[in-house]
Amino acid sequence: MGQDNVEILVVLQPISVDTASPDEVGMLVIANGLLVAVLVRLDAPEHERRGAWYMEVRLGRLAKVRAPVFDTLEDATRWVRQRLKN
Amino acid sequence: MQDALIRKLESFEELTDADREALRAFVPRLRQVPARTDLIKEGDVPGNVHLILDGYACRYKMLPDGQRQIMAFFVPGDFCDLNVFILDQMDHAIGTISPCTAVEIPRQAIEEMTSHHPRVTRALMWCTLVDGAVLREWLVNIGSRQSGQRIAHLFCELLLRLDAVGRVKDNSYAFPFTQTDVAEALGLSDVQVSRTLRELRGLELITLKYRVLTILDAEQLKAYCGFNPNYLHLRNTRWSGRRQVPWLSSVQGG
Repeated sequence: MGQDNVEILVVLQPISVDTASPDEVGMLVIANGLLVAVLVRLDAPEHERRGAWYMEVRLGRLAKVRAPVFDTLEDATRWVRQRLKN
Repeated sequence: MQDALIRKLESFEELTDADREALRAFVPRLRQVPARTDLIKEGDVPGNVHLILDGYACRYKMLPDGQRQIMAFFVPGDFCDLNVFILDQMDHAIGTISPCTAVEIPRQAIEEMTSHHPRVTRALMWCTLVDGAVLREWLVNIGSRQSGQRIAHLFCELLLRLDAVGRVKDNSYAFPFTQTDVAEALGLSDVQVSRTLRELRGLELITLKYRVLTILDAEQLKAYCGFNPNYLHLRNTRWSGRRQVPWLSSVQGG
């Protein structure tokens, strides 16, 4: 009730991630105090979208949807907020 | 062109002159199909059986969210849909990956053939059984192997299947698949595919250049993913005498 009007607070917290590849720069994605995803920047030269952000892990409701690769952290944050609202 | 079909079937069953004659009487409609084109769509009424003579194709389904799942790759000599013409409509689509030369065999011709030529029928059943075995192995692959092993397994399988139809040279074969094709076939993301290819290159197991995949160390690659070629049933074919896959015999012997 009134959920639609409640803004979801998404906080990013830097973290190094072991992906068994050069992609190590990561962000914990925390929504209203809950860990919902881990983003990792695509740094390996082989990637088609180098520099973009890949959702390495999706938890809870986000696990049910397919995530694109995001150009910016802002795009990722917006996507997370929208998915959690719906 | 019919000879390619005969050669394929003869790898499963010894055919008589009458069988071969009947197969030659097929009037196959050759189709040159561009890359990334559907041979038949989901929902279509299947009328013809498609046989790939050149190029690669795939069997796939589109999910409601736009995601594509590839369930099979077809290489030269493969029937795409041998028995599907019995069904009322296609429950999946068949599309090309690279430009293909395909033969369309009318269903009446297949029905006529199977009612009068038991050896041809059995050869066609062979094809279907092996397709089923490959599908089972893909299920195991997607369900139980990690991304690196999954991709390595596909590379090993393609090596054997393509070698059986003379499309492997110096452990290299055409690899027109995109990272997305591989991801869609193996239930991975593009990023996972990209990382895995990097890893396999780093281990000096493969190189992938100009759309040609070279397997640098087939023995190691096979060991890496625990590849067992039994599901391809190659030993039961008459290719065995002509085969030159050095590590195949050691696997089957062990």
